Amino acid sequence: MSVPKILCIDDEALGLQIRRTVLERAGYQVLTAVDGPTGLSLFRGNEVDGVVLDYYMPEMDGGAVAETMRRERPQVPIMLLSAYINLPAEVVAMVDVTLLKGEGPQELLEKLRLMLGTGAQYSSEAPARGGAV
Amino acid sequence: MKAPAFNRALRQLVALPILLLAMLAAFVFWQIESATRAQRQLGHSDQVTAQLQELLKLFIDQETGLRGFQLTGDPVMLAPWEAAAGPIQSHFANLREMLAGDRTQQASLSELEGRYNQWLGFAGAVLHQDPAALNTARMNQQGKAMMDGIRATTATMLRHESDLREKQYGLAEWLQRQELISLVVSAVVVGIFLGLFTRHHVHAISASYQRRIGEITERSDALFESRQWFQTTLESIGDAVIACDIGGMVTFMNAVAQKLTGWTQGDARGKPLETVFHIVHEKTRSIAENPVEKVRRMGQVIGLANHTVLIARGGREYMIDDSAAPIMSGAGEMIGVVLVFRDVTEERRIQNALVASEKLAVAGRLAASIAHEIHNPLDSVANLHFLLRQENDPEQRTEYLRLAQQELSRTMQISRTMLSLYREPKAPIQIDLRELIEGVLLLLDRRLQNQEIRLETDIAGDLTVEGFPAELRQVFTNLVVNAVEAAGPKGRIRIRMEHADAGELQGAGAIIEVADSGPGIPADTAKNLFQPFFTTKGVQGTGLGLWVSMGIVQKHGGAITLVKSTEPELAGACIQVFLPARTLAQQAGTQEQDESAA
Repeated sequence: MSVPKILCIDDEALGLQIRRTVLERAGYQVLTAVDGPTGLSLFRGNEVDGVVLDYYMPEMDGGAVAETMRRERPQVPIMLLSAYINLPAEVVAMVDVTLLKGEGPQELLEKLRLMLGTGAQYSSEAPARGGAV
Repeated sequence: MKAPAFNRALRQLVALPILLLAMLAAFVFWQIESATRAQRQLGHSDQVTAQLQELLKLFIDQETGLRGFQLTGDPVMLAPWEAAAGPIQSHFANLREMLAGDRTQQASLSELEGRYNQWLGFAGAVLHQDPAALNTARMNQQGKAMMDGIRATTATMLRHESDLREKQYGLAEWLQRQELISLVVSAVVVGIFLGLFTRHHVHAISASYQRRIGEITERSDALFESRQWFQTTLESIGDAVIACDIGGMVTFMNAVAQKLTGWTQGDARGKPLETVFHIVHEKTRSIAENPVEKVRRMGQVIGLANHTVLIARGGREYMIDDSAAPIMSGAGEMIGVVLVFRDVTEERRIQNALVASEKLAVAGRLAASIAHEIHNPLDSVANLHFLLRQENDPEQRTEYLRLAQQELSRTMQISRTMLSLYREPKAPIQIDLRELIEGVLLLLDRRLQNQEIRLETDIAGDLTVEGFPAELRQVFTNLVVNAVEAAGPKGRIRIRMEHADAGELQGAGAIIEVADSGPGIPADTAKNLFQPFFTTKGVQGTGLGLWVSMGIVQKHGGAITLVKSTEPELAGACIQVFLPARTLAQQAGTQEQDESAA
């Protein structure tokens, strides 16, 4: 099985870069976008296996992005990762997994693994690999 | 019946009987006159008869004297003859006079005189004849025949007079009867007429009087009823009502007023208002101005000072909300003052609870915002920590640590801002408004960015006001959040702040204006804007934000108003806040305790 490709969308550029490193260390191939429209164009141009999506973003929020993705390729699983505690119920119902920012990388990797159904291959204890942020 | 008609009826009632009685008297007088005339005529007849009878007696005396002289020839016998001669002439004269109006009797009298003179002629012949030849049968016969004639004429006259008298007597009697009948009839007629007339008039007057009495009774009944109605209405009003005369003495109190003041109407009536209605300022406890004085001075309806406490007779205290208005007479003259007030103790308690609940809601929203602001860097720190544990390259580790430090600093900064928002001094302090507003904008920065809102600030420096910073921050957060929501994505907000000079009604201070490019506020919404539970945001809003903001601004002695935007491009809502340089806010009281509890 090839390396799963994850699309990360978050307007917090620094947090996004750090998350990308974490995911890459865990063995994923990561695409990043700092806003919804960019994320959607990457989504359309790439075969992604999963999406890690921030909710609270300017211009186009995570709900709108998820809705478009669901319409275009409903089989792609989406994780809504947000610091926002009052997520609208319809958005929560639309995505596969929700995760609160700050719960830690182990939780993120575990939930992502379960969401993708990829077994133990990409565990959180994956061997460290070099790479700049 | 109107007053002139009434007077005319009364005049008629007096004048007509007098007139009728005068007429009756005149009629009676005329009747008596007629009767008297008849009586006089009867007397005249009697006098004529008496004269005739005396005349006849004198004739007989003369005849007797003559006969004596005839028989005796003695001149002594002629004494009666001589004695009667004079009176006979005078009687004739009298009778002539008395019978002047009666032709028949005059004729008879002339005949009698003629016969008497004839007899006198015979008598003269007798007296001058030889006495021996006197007493002859012829002589006697002649004398007797003459005297018989005289007697016959006299008798005729007497009969005539007697007949006349009889007739006159009958007339007199008839007249007397007539008189009586007339008197009785006229008296009865006048009596009946007067009776009927008086009855009619008295009836009319009495009916009119009754009607008038009825009207007056009706009017006074209606007046009484209307008075009762007003009294009942005033009594039934849920608010307390006290009325005073222009001198400030209590004239009326309804039941609620009696309950709140602890004074019964009986005790309070005539007492000065300030005795019965003892009001002080809630916080300073200084005696509040007498509303009667204030109304007299202003001449118009006044709302009384806020935070007024009524101290009842028994010492119990009520927070009241009140107003006073002049009572005007029909001529537009002020004749008293009416006071309407109500117990707002409970309301104030509820308001305080609402303020606290809005604080909770604000805190809840703030918590969400804090969570969002803090969890982003925290997430990065957790990720960096995870990476550090697996990283052996010292350079890489240093980079991770630097990033972690950067994110921690950001977390600290947010945390500090939040803390300053909630750390509140107990007394008003000097606040740099520029710093305060910039702090608010910093917290809302992300929100503004998300919505791509163009923010223009025109903030004068060096503007300080006295106050409670956390509360004012709450106000401006509220205003800016409202503006963001109204302006919508890619909208425009302008915050302007400038110095306000001391004016007639307020001291110097600062004016802060928040205007947005949103759709604006319709007039019907505008009037409810500062009411509690009024929201245009559906379930998202508590409807307390602007109401609490107004409370805070007013507590600082300022004002918050919706003004018309001067700039066509910012045609949306424009809220203006005035804050005085020296606050009126007192030491932090119950409200701040509520806040720390929240």
